[in-house]
Amino acid sequence: MLDLTITPEQQKIQQLARNFTAQHIIPVAREWDERGGFHEFILAENKKIGLNCMAVPVEYGGPGYDSVTQSLVAEEWGYGCVAFATTLCGNGLSSYPLAIAGTDEQKKLYYGRLVGGGMGGFALTEPGAGSDAGSCTTVAKLEGDEWVINGTKCFATTCGYASIMVVFASTDPDKGVKGLSAFIVEKEREGVLVGAEEHKMGIRSSNTVELRLKNVRIPKTHLLGKEGDGMKIAMKTLDMARPIVASMSVGAARRALDEAVQFAKTYLDVNGKPIGRHQAVAFKLADMATQVEAARQLVRNALRLKDIGVPYTKEAAMAKTFCTDTAMRVAAEAVELMGHYGYSKDSVVEKLMRDAKVTQIYEGTNQIQRIVISGLLLNS
Amino acid sequence: MGYPFTEEQEIIQQTAREFTQEYIEPVAAEIDRTALHPQEIVHSLAEQGFMGTFLPGDFGGAEAGFLSYALIIEEISKSSGAVASILNHHAAMAAYSINAWGSKEQKEQYLTAMCEGELLGAFAFYEPDAAPGVGEHKVIARKDGDAYILSGRKCYVANGGVAGIYVVFALTDLGAGLKGMSAFLVDGDAPGLSVARTIKKMGLRGCQSAELIFDNVKIPQSSLLGTEGAGMAIVAKAQAAASVAEGAIVVGIAQAAMDDAVEYGKQRIQFKQPIARFPAIQTMLAEMATNIHMLRLAVYHAAGLIENDEPFTAEAAMIKLFAARIGQSALIDVVQIEGGYGYSEDMAVSRYFRDIKGVVIKTCSVDFPETVIAKSLLD
Repeated sequence: MLDLTITPEQQKIQQLARNFTAQHIIPVAREWDERGGFHEFILAENKKIGLNCMAVPVEYGGPGYDSVTQSLVAEEWGYGCVAFATTLCGNGLSSYPLAIAGTDEQKKLYYGRLVGGGMGGFALTEPGAGSDAGSCTTVAKLEGDEWVINGTKCFATTCGYASIMVVFASTDPDKGVKGLSAFIVEKEREGVLVGAEEHKMGIRSSNTVELRLKNVRIPKTHLLGKEGDGMKIAMKTLDMARPIVASMSVGAARRALDEAVQFAKTYLDVNGKPIGRHQAVAFKLADMATQVEAARQLVRNALRLKDIGVPYTKEAAMAKTFCTDTAMRVAAEAVELMGHYGYSKDSVVEKLMRDAKVTQIYEGTNQIQRIVISGLLLNS
Repeated sequence: MGYPFTEEQEIIQQTAREFTQEYIEPVAAEIDRTALHPQEIVHSLAEQGFMGTFLPGDFGGAEAGFLSYALIIEEISKSSGAVASILNHHAAMAAYSINAWGSKEQKEQYLTAMCEGELLGAFAFYEPDAAPGVGEHKVIARKDGDAYILSGRKCYVANGGVAGIYVVFALTDLGAGLKGMSAFLVDGDAPGLSVARTIKKMGLRGCQSAELIFDNVKIPQSSLLGTEGAGMAIVAKAQAAASVAEGAIVVGIAQAAMDDAVEYGKQRIQFKQPIARFPAIQTMLAEMATNIHMLRLAVYHAAGLIENDEPFTAEAAMIKLFAARIGQSALIDVVQIEGGYGYSEDMAVSRYFRDIKGVVIKTCSVDFPETVIAKSLLD
C-alpha cells in the first residue's frame, strides 16, 4: 500500500527497504534465529543500497536521511526480522552521540568507519547499572594525553563485530550520574576484549556481548563533549533512538497482523469457511490493526516534532512504550489466533512473540519511559 | 493455603512437590533444550502412581479424585510445563475419554495399562491446514465388514509418536459435518500408522507434537469409542476436563515465575535499593499474585465439580479464558522485572514465558471458550 502522507522521496526509500526485506531478510530470518547469528554478506548487500549508515550526514559521506525516512526503513526491517533491525538500528544509534556532541574530527573518524561498511556499537549498560546508568563502575582516567579506561560492560549490542563504539565510563566516580562521560573507542585498541555472547530467548541473531576494557588507552580527543556530559549525551541519544525502536516494533506488529490476516483468510474452520468469518476472530483482527495504526501515528508525530526542532522527549517516550507494548500484545494475539500453527516453528509469529519481548526491555525499559513521561507531566 | 483439602489431598500435594523437586527440577531445562520425550520421567510418574490419579481402582487407578490430580499437575508445572502437558494429554484427554465413554472391555484393555504407565495416551483431533473434518487431509473412517479403515492425517498430536494408544477422531459420515465425527482407539503400533514429522514449537518442548499419517489403518469394529457420531461430544468433554488441568498448569508455571521474580526483585539493586521496593514493580507482582490466586481457586472449585460428577463445562471454559489471559500477562511482566537477565535463554523465566503460551491453545472455533460460556448463559 502506498502511504500518500509521506514525500515521493520517502516513498522511494520505503519501497527500497521493503524490497530488500522481502528479498534478503524474510527468506533467512528463521535460519538466523536457529543458529543465533546472521550471514555477514547481508551487511554488504545493505551497504550496496545505501541503508547501512542512514543517519550519517551528507557532508560526511552518508545519505543524511531525515528521521521520518529512517523510521520508515526501521519499520520495514522490523517487519522482516527484529534481530536484524536491532543490529542495523543499533548501528545508527551508536552514531547519535556524534550528532549530539561530536567535533568535526570525531565525526570524520566515526562516520568514516560506518560509511565504509563498518559497524558501530554502544556500550552503556553494566551488570550493576541497567536502568540506573549512574551506578557505572567503568572508569576513565586521564594520563597525559590519553584516557585509560577500565571496566566491564554487558548486554552490549553488536559490539562483537563492531569496528568502533561509544563507551560510557565515569571520569569522576564520586559524582555518580554527573561523573559519567562518553568516549569513542576503536575495536582494535589494545585491551578491548569481547567476552561471552548472550544466548537470548529472542532476537537471537542480534549480537549481545560482554565487553571488557583493560587499560584501554585512547587519545584525549576521543572524549565526546566535556567530562561529565555522559548522562546528557546518553539521554539525548535515547531520545533519538526511541522513535526508531518504536518503528521497528510497529514493523513487527504489522507483520504479526499480516500473518494473522493471511491465516484468517485461508484456514478453514469446522464449517468449511475461513475462520476470519467468525466474528470473534474478525473483531480481534480489527483491534490488532487499530493498534498498529495508532502506534505508527504516534511515532510519526514524535518525529514531526523532532524535525521542526521542538522538544519531543515525552512524545518519543510515549511512542517507545506504546509501540513496543503493541508489538508484544499483537504478536501474542497473533500466536493465539493462529492456534497450534501459531505456536509452532512452522509459523513466523512464534518468533515474533519471542523477539517482541525485548523491545519492552532495551533502550530504556518501558518503566523508565514511564518515569520520563510522568516526570514531564508532574514537573512542568 | 486455607483451602479445605482432605488429609489425603494434602499428602498427595506434598508427595507431588517432593517428587517434582527430586526428579523433574534437575532435568527440566535439559528437557527443554533437547526437546526429547523424557521417557525416564514418565516411568517415574508411573512408579509414583501419578498416571491414573483420578481413574477407578478397578482399572488400576488411584481413585484419588480430580482435585488431587490438579494438585499434582500444579506441582509438576512449577518445574516443567512440558512434563505436566505430557501427563495431562495422557490422563485428562485420552484416559479420561476412555473412562467416560469406553466399554468395560475397552477399559480393561487400555486403562489398566495406562494407569500403570505401560501405555502412554494421546488425543488425535486436529488436522493439518484446516479444522478437523474439513481439510484436504481429513481423517475418514470407512466401514469394511467388521472393521474400520482410517485414512488421512492428524496434526499437533501431543505425545504423538511416543504414545501407545491414540484416541483418534475420524469422519464416519461425510455428509453430516461435525455430527459425523466419531472416536476410535488406535494402538500406537497399528500397521499403516506412521509419524510424518515432529513439529518444533516455541515451548513445552519435551512434550512431543507430531503429525501422523493414517494410511489405510485397519482397526476392529470394537475400537469405536462410544457410538458413531459421538466424536464431538467426546472432544468437548475431554477438552473441558483438560482445561481445568490446564488452569493448574498455568497456576504452577506462573507461581514459579512469580517466585523467581520476587527473589530477583529483592536482590537486584538499582538506584541504591532493591527494585522490589519500587511501586511499579510491586504493582506488577500484586496483579499477578491476585490473578494466580483467583485462577487457583477456580481450578480447585471446578476440579471438585468433576470429582462430584456435577456439570462443569462452563466453569472449565471460564478457566480456559482466564488462564490464557493471566498466564501470558504474568510472564510478560516477570520477564520485564528481570530485564535483560530474564530474557536470557539460560534463565528459567524465559522458558516459562515460552511454555505458558502453549498451555491453552485454541485452533478452531470449537475451542473458543467464549462460545461455551455464552451458551451456558443463553440456553
